[in-house]
Amino acid sequence: MNIDLEEIAAVVRLIKGAEFSEFRYAKGDVSLVVRRGELPADSGGETTAAAAPTPPPAPKVVAPVPARQPGAPPRGPGSETALQGPSSSVTAPLLGSFYGAPKPGDPPFVRVGDRVEPDTVVCIIEVMKLMNSVVAGVGGTITAVHASDGELVEHGQALFTIQSVEPA
Amino acid sequence: MSTRRIFVANRGEIAVRVIDACQRLGFETVVGVSAADKETLAAKRATRTVTLGGARSTESYLNQPAIVHAAISTGCTAVHPGYGFLSERADFARLCEENALIFIGATPEQLETLGDKLSARAFAQSVGVPVSPGGPTKTLDEAKALAIEVGYPLLVKAAFGGGGRGMKLVERADDLSEAWSVASSEAASSFGDGTVFLERFVRAAKHIEVQILGDRHGGCLQLGERECSLQFRYQKILEEAPSSSLNAVDREKLHSYALRIANGLKYQGLGTVEFLYDVDKRDIWFLEVNPRVQVEHPVTEAVTGVDLVREQILVAFGEPLRLAQSDIRLEGHAVELRLTAQNPANGLKPSPGRLTKWRPSPIGGVRWDSHMYEGYLFPPYYDALMAKIIAFGQDRETALSRAGQAIERLEVAGPITNANLLKQLLASQAVIENSVTTQWLEEQFARRMFP
Repeated sequence: MNIDLEEIAAVVRLIKGAEFSEFRYAKGDVSLVVRRGELPADSGGETTAAAAPTPPPAPKVVAPVPARQPGAPPRGPGSETALQGPSSSVTAPLLGSFYGAPKPGDPPFVRVGDRVEPDTVVCIIEVMKLMNSVVAGVGGTITAVHASDGELVEHGQALFTIQSVEPA
Repeated sequence: MSTRRIFVANRGEIAVRVIDACQRLGFETVVGVSAADKETLAAKRATRTVTLGGARSTESYLNQPAIVHAAISTGCTAVHPGYGFLSERADFARLCEENALIFIGATPEQLETLGDKLSARAFAQSVGVPVSPGGPTKTLDEAKALAIEVGYPLLVKAAFGGGGRGMKLVERADDLSEAWSVASSEAASSFGDGTVFLERFVRAAKHIEVQILGDRHGGCLQLGERECSLQFRYQKILEEAPSSSLNAVDREKLHSYALRIANGLKYQGLGTVEFLYDVDKRDIWFLEVNPRVQVEHPVTEAVTGVDLVREQILVAFGEPLRLAQSDIRLEGHAVELRLTAQNPANGLKPSPGRLTKWRPSPIGGVRWDSHMYEGYLFPPYYDALMAKIIAFGQDRETALSRAGQAIERLEVAGPITNANLLKQLLASQAVIENSVTTQWLEEQFARRMFP
């Protein structure tokens, strides 16, 4: 499963001038949904995932383009930000000592550039010999690690930055 | 020797007070705060601040592992628990000990003896200090028999566990069965033990307490008494030192009782022995020991000239007492008012919020212990205390008058405070002539005399 940024940009360019409120495209295991303006009232809670018929077990790739105000400049083709979501921080849920690996000498749970799922364990926080696993909370790519092994981290302190996959 | 660093495991004005004492001793401080307390005065003044956990006390100020971990990781060698929160918890004192941290307070064994009503009373009796008539009862028949000895009115309450939970006033023998049964089942479900404590209820009692201080070498002192009869639902509002209700004989008796308890326990640290004083019958009864620094400690500091928190820290580090009993000489009179973010017009309901104006007016002889500053967001999660206004004078009248000026000149806006109630209290005849007993203010509220 691969989705080409150039391809999507081309599709968006093509349909930009057309009269439409929703555009769906599926090819193989790739599907694309583009919406313009308000979501239809009857689909208030509908997610794009539901709109994308994805044959299991192939993972779905949904790349909805956010509704844009008419006249707003379209994002540049090929621009990476067109597909990337906001950055978010994984913060320490409790005070303790930070450990980036299961035990000394082991490879770290995650490195910069690694893809993580919301339930991926990213580090351990030790409080008085009690080990607490911390999960990413969101899916995306690790872009920064802010704590080092053995460091005291406080409640709420940023530990990792994750670039999430869903666009803003 | 490297600089000593102390972990402050508390918030509000007492955290500021402890940091202040440490700074004067040349010690560094690390304050552990909740996520809601990052902008407090204590956080601004400490050498370092660490966020322990969420706003809820269980995640922060009561979170023992986080506090001990933070203290060790930041290079502290001692923990000051302040008052409330973990200050009287034997398990916390023990956890500190196990991790080579000095717990600035009584020993775990002393906290255990004093933390339980029954063992504290038994201890007082064992050293010849009178306790109020009463005792534990396991069955209703036992209770009926004991009630005849104790007399009415009496209080029934859970023998184990505290906080006044399940406490009931029984006026007549006819009401005992029902009150006892309810208290017993409540005690069983809340504390896992259905034992009920019966105690004589003294309607017109004065609350008088004695300040004690002990070192780790068997030295003990008493630093005179305080009277705290002006209360609302067991919450003290005005405290003073010395008490003007005692004659010389009773004062002597009270001080000697407190010393018997302190010496008997080989008490370590700062503590307060509380008594009920029946003015008419001149009976003195042991109530409990608060093994920690007390909110109202500044009135004792004002009349003795002793910095109690400084002494408390020094004895915890093993220093012998620098003062002898004969060095403790009282001078003048001190009154403390507790300014709180509580609305007197609404049953003293808490009123948190942003402090848009805070301008205490400087007055000679008045000390403000407070963590307030203009712009501070008073959080809704903790107690309502805003400031302690401590007024000193050569006599009680002067002290009261200075306290009145201080509260009169305070400019405060944002949270609704009890300032008007404090003004009314200072103007009331009962306060001026000191006829107030512990139930007085509640009765006044019930009769709509206040606010």
